[in-house]
Amino acid sequence: MLSLRTTNCVLKVLKTARNEQSFHRWLAPTLRELKRRKDSQGPEKPVHRKSFLEWNYDSEIYAFSKRLGEDFNNDLLLKAFTERSYIIDEEEKQKSVGIEQPTLNLIDNKELVAKGSEFIDDIVKRYLRTVLPRLPEEGIIELHKYLTSVETLSHVSYHIGTPELILCADFPVEKLTMANVLKSIIAALIESSGENRAAIFVRDFILTQIADKDLLQFWDLQHPIKLLSDILARDNIQSPEPRLVGCSGKNTILACFRVGLYTPHNKQIIGLGVGETVDIAHEMAAIDGLRQLFGTPENILFPYNLELEQLCASTDKNLSVNEWSQKNLPVQPTNFELHQVKMTSSC
Amino acid sequence: MSSSRFTPKGFPSVPLQNGIGRYICQLKRVTLRFCKSSGSSRGVRDFIETELISFAQDHPGTVVYLKPRRHKSPSFVAEYLNGEREVISCHNFSSHEMIKWLNLYATRSGIPLKRYLKMWHTECPSIQGVWSPFTNMDPALNITQFPSKKLSNPVWEEKSATEELLEKVKQQKISSDDENDDDNTHSNRAAQV
Repeated sequence: MLSLRTTNCVLKVLKTARNEQSFHRWLAPTLRELKRRKDSQGPEKPVHRKSFLEWNYDSEIYAFSKRLGEDFNNDLLLKAFTERSYIIDEEEKQKSVGIEQPTLNLIDNKELVAKGSEFIDDIVKRYLRTVLPRLPEEGIIELHKYLTSVETLSHVSYHIGTPELILCADFPVEKLTMANVLKSIIAALIESSGENRAAIFVRDFILTQIADKDLLQFWDLQHPIKLLSDILARDNIQSPEPRLVGCSGKNTILACFRVGLYTPHNKQIIGLGVGETVDIAHEMAAIDGLRQLFGTPENILFPYNLELEQLCASTDKNLSVNEWSQKNLPVQPTNFELHQVKMTSSC
Repeated sequence: MSSSRFTPKGFPSVPLQNGIGRYICQLKRVTLRFCKSSGSSRGVRDFIETELISFAQDHPGTVVYLKPRRHKSPSFVAEYLNGEREVISCHNFSSHEMIKWLNLYATRSGIPLKRYLKMWHTECPSIQGVWSPFTNMDPALNITQFPSKKLSNPVWEEKSATEELLEKVKQQKISSDDENDDDNTHSNRAAQV
């Protein structure tokens, strides 16, 4: 050690004796100039991951199916990822090189998209009708619209890792393309592992999107007070009586009123709402009453363990708002009972 | 925390409701960059020789790429499903350290590190309902006329010294009256006897 240190010292002395700089004086200005030139070029364009050196499409496809825990038919999965725009693009590339009749062993996913779309629609509606038997059909349709929108499907598709694997002309990948690819993946899953696995896939990835959301935010109830009294009238209950249950800060900017709705015949509370004016509080109380009737409380928990055979038939429909009454409700197993069925069958 | 003003903060979150339906490993790709000859990459090379196969088998949803680069300090790049990318230097790591770091990054969600404001988070409101000033309120307050004299008084008032004295005098008077009464009854009885 000592010898090494002494040699270092000697070298240092020699260096200083020769009047040499210990660092590069040109380095900082050069880097500064490079940075200036780079900035003048504007922001860097995004590059597709496939242009990287470390990219193996086959391994990526293999990892994709393993990540989801599904067994896909490899050809079907490749087909599901191939968009029409990619095939057109490739053919044009070959033509520009001089090949008169370009041959590509690729089939686009158009059929799969149609099939998957139909399947998703069916499963989503059946699941919602099974777990929310009291919710009117209009609400089911609105929830279904949200779950099968391009926005939701592309979000799911992005987060299972499709955007880099899709073969398409557009980059960055458009939302519609991602949603279509998710549909075609589900169709590919139906063909490779059967409808039950595909239904579980839809349940795990698409239906979980409503897991922590308020259901009435998707279905805007118009005139809730009138709706509630109409529904109660069908069960021969007179229109509910609103009462001021509490108020604070009256005639101030932070006024708060609390209105309860009571049935006239047996004086039972059926809804409780809070608002900054009495009218708003009354409306909120009516919405609360409807929530309780429709079985959609704010803290609803869905049973995410139902399988295909536990769902209701696709021909079954919930009652419409215009004919909804407690008498007309069909006798269906509730969420809790369905949960019990699942627990006992798995044991 | 000293850096609390600059580090991003938030609540624990999860991408795509991961775990409600099924769990997906969020690490989609990992690239090991190392040098075939330099000493600082020795641990990474050992890891590749002995442990890499079992790591890849344990994580079939993660694509592993090896990228030898001459005379470069070793590092690995973790890419996540939410589009995040992180580079971790593994200069002078041992094979064992490589396993630990890779396992850490394989079990992460890919959401950038942040200071947690709470260690839990829920989107659902409380099961018994959120507290409000109306919770457990006495219904009698609804028909009370404000300002109310009774409710305006302090809940507990300390007695002044004068009041305490007066009270003591009063008590003494009562007790002395009692004694007098007792004497009277005794004398009456004696008279009767």
